[in-house]
Amino acid sequence: MNHAWLNSMLMAMVVGIAFIWLAIPFTMAVLWSLVDPVEPWTADKLLPPTMSFYRWTDMWENSSLKSALVSSYTLAPSAAILALSLAFPTAYALGRISFPGRETAKLLCLLPLVVPPFITAIFFSSILFQLGLNTWRFGAIVFAHSILFLPYAIRILTVSFEQVRQDHIDAARDLGASPFARFRVAYLPALRPGISATLLIVFIQSIEEFAIAFIIGSPDIVTIPTLLYSALGQDFVRPNAAVLSLILVVPNVFLMLILERLMKTANPALLSGKG
Amino acid sequence: MIARKWLLVLALLTPGLGLILLLIGMVVYIAIAQSFGFYALRGDSAFSTEFWSEVLGRKLFSKAVRYSIYVGVWSAVLSIALAYPLAIWLRKPFPGSIGIGAILKAPLLVHGLVAAFLFINVISYNGLLNQAMQGLGIWSEPRRLQNDSNAIGVLLLQTWKNMPFALLLLAGAVQSISEDVLDAARDMGAGSWARFRKVIAPLTVSGMQAAMVIIFIGALADFTFQTTVGPTNLQSMAQLMVSFKVRGDWHSAAVVGVSLMIIALVGSAVLAVVARAVMRGRIR
Amino acid sequence: MIGINRISKSFGTFEALSEFSLDVKQGEFITLLGPSGCGKTTLLKIISGFLAPTTGTISINGEDVTNVPAESRDTALCFQSYALFPHLSVLENLEFGLKQKKIQRDERNKRVEDVATKLGLNVQLDKLPNQLSGGQQQRVSLGRALVMRPSIILFDEPLSNLDAKLRDQVRVEIRRIQQDYGLTSIYVTHDQSEALAMSDRIAVLNSGKIVQVDTPEQLYASPRTRFVADFIGGANLMTGRIVEQNASGNASIETSLGPMQANKGAADFGSEVSLSWRPERAQVGAGPYMGKIVHRAFQGQFTDLLVEGNDLSFRIQTSDDIYRVGDTIQFSLNHDDVVLLEDEA
Repeated sequence: MNHAWLNSMLMAMVVGIAFIWLAIPFTMAVLWSLVDPVEPWTADKLLPPTMSFYRWTDMWENSSLKSALVSSYTLAPSAAILALSLAFPTAYALGRISFPGRETAKLLCLLPLVVPPFITAIFFSSILFQLGLNTWRFGAIVFAHSILFLPYAIRILTVSFEQVRQDHIDAARDLGASPFARFRVAYLPALRPGISATLLIVFIQSIEEFAIAFIIGSPDIVTIPTLLYSALGQDFVRPNAAVLSLILVVPNVFLMLILERLMKTANPALLSGKG
Repeated sequence: MIARKWLLVLALLTPGLGLILLLIGMVVYIAIAQSFGFYALRGDSAFSTEFWSEVLGRKLFSKAVRYSIYVGVWSAVLSIALAYPLAIWLRKPFPGSIGIGAILKAPLLVHGLVAAFLFINVISYNGLLNQAMQGLGIWSEPRRLQNDSNAIGVLLLQTWKNMPFALLLLAGAVQSISEDVLDAARDMGAGSWARFRKVIAPLTVSGMQAAMVIIFIGALADFTFQTTVGPTNLQSMAQLMVSFKVRGDWHSAAVVGVSLMIIALVGSAVLAVVARAVMRGRIR
Repeated sequence: MIGINRISKSFGTFEALSEFSLDVKQGEFITLLGPSGCGKTTLLKIISGFLAPTTGTISINGEDVTNVPAESRDTALCFQSYALFPHLSVLENLEFGLKQKKIQRDERNKRVEDVATKLGLNVQLDKLPNQLSGGQQQRVSLGRALVMRPSIILFDEPLSNLDAKLRDQVRVEIRRIQQDYGLTSIYVTHDQSEALAMSDRIAVLNSGKIVQVDTPEQLYASPRTRFVADFIGGANLMTGRIVEQNASGNASIETSLGPMQANKGAADFGSEVSLSWRPERAQVGAGPYMGKIVHRAFQGQFTDLLVEGNDLSFRIQTSDDIYRVGDTIQFSLNHDDVVLLEDEA
C-alpha cells in the first residue's frame, strides 16, 4: 500500500471526524448563545431566526453570572499565588539539594492527583465542619485548590530549579555577590518561565475545578463550572448553558496556548489533565 | 547527612510536601474514621461496623460498584486502543502531522462539563443527530438518546476527553524509540505487526500503564458525566457518595468513599499487571 | 554477486548519489570510503532496502531486488549506533532475526552458540544491552547480523563510537570473521586507515560519485586524482609542465622544485599536469631538491617535517631524527614515487 496515499486518507478521516466531533458542536454552542428569545430556534431552521446578545446581557444582569465570574476570577489568582509560594521552598529542596529519599518525596508530591477529586472535596469539607471552619468558604476553596494543584507547581518549579546552573551561582559568588544578587543573576533567569508557567497552570486548573467548588462552595459561592452544572440539570436552558460554555472555554484556549509556549522553555515534557 | 542539613530540608519541604501529606492524610484518615462511625456530625461517635455492613449489603451499592468499574475499565481500554495506532501513525513527521496532532489533542482544552453540554446538544431529542438521522431517512422519528441505560454517552465522553491524554503519553513513549532500533527489526525480517508486537509494545509499556491507570481512576470516580448524561437508573460511586453526604449521612458516604479508594488502588494494580502481560513486556 | 547499476538518489533538489555503478564479487570485502555527506550511507540504505533509489537497480546473485522491501531482503546491517533491542537480552537479540525467519530451534541454538563463542559473548548472553560496554555491544550487533548468514553483510561505520585502542582490536576481529565465513561485505567509513587495513578493494566516493575503485595498495601508490591522493595518506600535490614523454612510459616534468621523472603509464598527458608524491617516499640526505625546515613534529616512529622552498610548502617524513627547524634539507624522489594525476593542472 502506498504510504502517502494512506496518510492522506487518514488525515482526511481525522479532519472529517474533528469536524463532527468539535467544529459542529462548537458552532452550535455559539449559535445557541446568540438566540434571541423573541423567536425560538426550532428544529426546522438551520440558523436561529433572530440573533442577538440578549442572552449574554440577560445573564449578566439577572443571573448569578456576575458573581460566578467574580468568584472564579478571584479564586484562581489567589490559589495560583498561594500554590507558588508553598511550592517554592519544596521545589528548591527537591531541585537543588540531594538527600536520601528525594525520589520518594517527588513521588509523594503527586498524591493529590491520585485521590479522586470528590473524595477530597467531601472529606475536606467534613474536616472543615469538624474544626468549625466551615464559614469562610472562599478561604477554604483557595486553600484546597492550592494544595490540589501543588503537584503541578512543585513539578514545574523543581525542573526550573534543576536547570539553574551551579557554575553561574559559583561565578556570582566568586565575584562577590550577596545572596540576593546571586538569586537575581543566577536563579531568576532559569526560574522565570517556571514561575509564569506555575501561575498560569494553577490559574487555569482553578477556573475549571468543579468538585471542591461544588461541595464546599454551594450554595454561597458560585463558580462558572458550578453554574454551568446547574444549567445542565433540571433547569436546562440551552442558551444559558451555551453562554456559560463559551465563557468557560474561550479564555481557556488562549491561556492554554500561552502556557504551551511557556512550558517549552520551562519544562519540555509536561501534560495537563482536564475536566 | 548532618542534622542541620536534614533540618533545612525538612523545613523546606514542609510548606509544599508537608501540606500535601497533611491534607491528603487527613482526608483519607477522616474518610476511614467516619466509615467506622467516628467523627459523627450528629449524635455520638462510636466505633461501629454497622455502616459498612449496611452499605455493602445494599443492592444500590453493588450496582454502583459494578457500574463504576465498567465505566472505568472501558474508558481506559477504549482511549488506549484509539491512541496507540494514532501515536504510531504520528511517530515520524509528515506534511500535516503537526496540524493533525493539534486537532487530536484539542479536547484537552475543553472542560468536561462543556463537553457534556455539547454532547447533550448533539444527541438531545431535538438535537443535531436526531435531525440528521431523520433527514437521511434512517429514523422515522426522534429517539431518546440521552441518559441511555448502557452508558454509551458516558463512555463516549470519557473517551473523547481521555484519548488525547493517552495520545500525549503514548506519543512521547513511541517517539523515544530510536529509529535505528526499528530499522534493525525490519532488517531482521520483522513486518509492521511484528515490529509493533516485539519492539514498540514492550518499549512503551510504562507509558501505556501510566495512561491506563490515570484514565481508569478518573473514569471510575466520575461524577459530572454520570449526572449529566449517564443512565438515570444507575448511580456511579461518586454520585452515590455525594447523595449520602447531601442527606447528611456522612458515615455511609465515607464507606462509599473508602471503597472507591480501595477499588481505585486495587484496580490500578490489576490493570497495570494485565497491561504488562498483554504487551509481554519484561518485569525487571 | 551484488550489482549496483547506475543508482541515482535525489532528495528534492539535492543529488546524494549520481549514476553510481559497482560490482561486488562473492566473498569480497569492499569499503566505501569518503568524507561526510558523500553519499556512502545513502547507498548502504539503498542496498539494504530502507531507501528506494530514484533511478537504477540493485541485483543480488543475478536477481533484481530493487523493489524488495528491507524485511525480505537477504542483507544484514550493522548499525553505527548498534541498534540493539534494549528490552531483550543478548541471547534474544541474537535470536531475533532467526525467529523472524522461523528457523527451527536446534538450528537456531547451534548458530547462536557458534557466533557467541566466536565473538566471546558466551558470558554475556543473559545481560541486557545497557549492562554491556561499547565494545561488547558492538560485538552483539555484529553477531546479530552474522547469525543470519546473509548473502551480504553491510557495515555502517561500526567502529566510530569506540575508543582508539578498541577500534584496532575490533577491526581485526571483523576482518577475520568475514574471512572465516567468506561473507560478502560492504563496509562504510570515513577513516582511511580502517579502509586500507581491512579491504580487498576500496571505492572512494566524493559528492555522490565514485572517484576510484582499486585495491588499497594500488590506491595508495597510484591515486588517480588530487582528491584520492589527498584523502588517502598524506600527499604533496604539485603542478608541473611535461617536457618530454615517451612510449615506454617515462615522462620528464619541469616543476618548481626542479626536474622530475615519472611513470606516465599508457595514458597521454597534456603539457600542464598535476602530480603527487608521498612524504615518506622522499629519500633524504642528498639529492637535487631542497628546502628549509620551518616546523618539526616528532612522532616517535618518524619525524614529520614541514619544508618550504621555491615558493612551495611540502611535507617530508623521515625516520632519521637529525633535522631541526632552520636546517636545510636535501632529498630526491624515485620516478616510481611521482604519480601523475588525471586532474587538470
